[in-house]
Amino acid sequence: MELTPGQTVNLTIGEKATVVKELGRGGQGIVYLVKVGKKDMALKWYINPPDDKFYHNLEKNVSSGAPNAAFIWPEYLTVRENGSYGYIMRLRPKDYYEFGTFLLARVNFRSFHAMLTAALKICAGFKVLHLQGYSYQDLNDGNFFINPENGDVLICDNDNVMAQGEKSGILGKARYMAPEVMAGSAPDKYSDRFSLAVILFMLFFANHPFEGAKVVACPCMTEAYEKKFYGSEALFIFDPKDKSNLPVRGVHQNVIRRWPHFPERLRRAFTEEFDSEHLQNPKKRMIENMWERLIMQVRDELIRCPHCKEETFVESSLASDKCMNCGHPINLSQRIKIGQREMMLALESPLYVDGDEIADAKVVASPKGDGALWLQNVSPKAWTVETASGKLKQVEPQGMMPVRTGMKISFGLDNLKGEVVAK
Amino acid sequence: MSLLDEVVEVPRRTMTLFFLIDTSGSMAGNKIGAVNDAVVNVLPILNDISASNPDAEIKVAALEFSSGCSWLYSEPKLASDFIWQDVEAEGLTSLGEACEELASKLSKSGYMKSASGSFAPAIILLSDGGPTDDFYGGLGKLKANNWFKHAIKVAIAIGDDADLEVLKDFTGNMEAVFSVHNIDALKKIIRVVAVTSSQIGSKSSSAGDTTKQQQVIDEVKQSVEDIDGAEAASDASVDSSSYDDDWD
Repeated sequence: MELTPGQTVNLTIGEKATVVKELGRGGQGIVYLVKVGKKDMALKWYINPPDDKFYHNLEKNVSSGAPNAAFIWPEYLTVRENGSYGYIMRLRPKDYYEFGTFLLARVNFRSFHAMLTAALKICAGFKVLHLQGYSYQDLNDGNFFINPENGDVLICDNDNVMAQGEKSGILGKARYMAPEVMAGSAPDKYSDRFSLAVILFMLFFANHPFEGAKVVACPCMTEAYEKKFYGSEALFIFDPKDKSNLPVRGVHQNVIRRWPHFPERLRRAFTEEFDSEHLQNPKKRMIENMWERLIMQVRDELIRCPHCKEETFVESSLASDKCMNCGHPINLSQRIKIGQREMMLALESPLYVDGDEIADAKVVASPKGDGALWLQNVSPKAWTVETASGKLKQVEPQGMMPVRTGMKISFGLDNLKGEVVAK
Repeated sequence: MSLLDEVVEVPRRTMTLFFLIDTSGSMAGNKIGAVNDAVVNVLPILNDISASNPDAEIKVAALEFSSGCSWLYSEPKLASDFIWQDVEAEGLTSLGEACEELASKLSKSGYMKSASGSFAPAIILLSDGGPTDDFYGGLGKLKANNWFKHAIKVAIAIGDDADLEVLKDFTGNMEAVFSVHNIDALKKIIRVVAVTSSQIGSKSSSAGDTTKQQQVIDEVKQSVEDIDGAEAASDASVDSSSYDDDWD
């Protein structure tokens, strides 16, 4: 039964929610704007109530709380009345757009940095979800809302989230479902990871990893063909051995344009993740933590071109690379090494030392006017710098320092230490 | 930010929604008026579903049949470009000819020529009587067509004189036939069937064992319970004689 404006529903905590208006509807239910006390919230109301098990699972999720702030999580549950039930969640703030809106090119990321931030936040969300023993089960393009300015992510539709090993009965959506789920197995955290890889690929390249010449040649995508092209015979568009499904000029424009510009390590990761071995062996798939590390390394390879001032990806394995926008050569010989990561120093580029999306350092011109590169501390913590000869110096927030090979910097963030090296 | 600015829409499949509309003489008056009104009102909803759907865009085609048959436009059009011209009712019920015409257009050289591929179409047949021509001859040709085989097919039987057997044979399933007994129910069911079949037909499947056609049937059945004067034709528990056919 549908609800009408002014109608109240009872929450299990004893309070009431009053329906204000409908916000939208999907296959399972209708989302209403409601008032709980004086607060505006959202109510998802099921048109046909799912079974008892589903209700009890929601009950459990409500009491355990959201895995992190990115999740628009069920906060209260209604009692079962009016022939159905629903749950209350917070409203989606303005300035966030459904992932599909990005795919339809109605909204664009303001920068590659915002795009990489979104990718990191999606990985972080699923990492904590899986760490807490859940699996999402139905990961697809309809589950994310992203702020195009800064890449912040909200994860919605959390009602299918179940303890790992439990079955919600929801299978997911072709194009995003893992091959084994297409073939009939129950979704779990391993199939979530397949869906995550597809979502990340589409986020970066704005095309589907399996949609190339082979798939576009199929005039009518029936359910049987979907099972084949996204399941039993899924073939990555850039499969190094089988070139029969390459992207098609004029159709898969985005991936054709972008693929060559993204760092090699990212291309290699997708090529491996979507090869037949990884498609068929769910346990070999990359875990969220590995994606996070990889994307942080990709972010280290995103610098600001000193000539045209645009963002450009560069290869850290090279001592010099060309800007992907203006083609101007960029000197990459000076860098800071933190563990396995190497951050290349290019004038005016921000450096992200820790895992968050806030810059901690900035490459600036030497105040002496000699053309050398200096670093500015834009973090809130003081740095301790040990020079090559062993002298210790302090660089306060907003302070600047010259960059000389052999210097060691303690950033005061998560015990991270970097060393200035030359390539 | 050139590389980011150059982004284009992802290639989307096309899902074509076909309306096959009986415009024979018996449809004259309120029935055809309700059909015209309902289709005009559902087009903007279809446009919304299409515009926000990264899987597929929805196009609309309409074939009217009376003594002969004709397309409202010579190709499927986006709902936003589909300006509905009211159809008028007179003449016979050439459903056989309409089937044959539909079969001729369900091909890559006909209406199904999207560069980025298609989903199977959804076909909604509306009729208030029985065919006056060689229906089974036409249907035979249509049934040999692969697009038709995989299509979502739903029929709406308008009033007590609609030939339910014919509609069942068209859809392949009595469950996919819905009967309506008054103007209001007719308008509502056109909307429900068009919206439901577009939503399900234009999305990637959910890989269960339930076909898209069956999902549409299940959802429409649910909705029909709330429409006074409409029922699933297969639902023997509903006594349709309790409804007076009311078309005034």
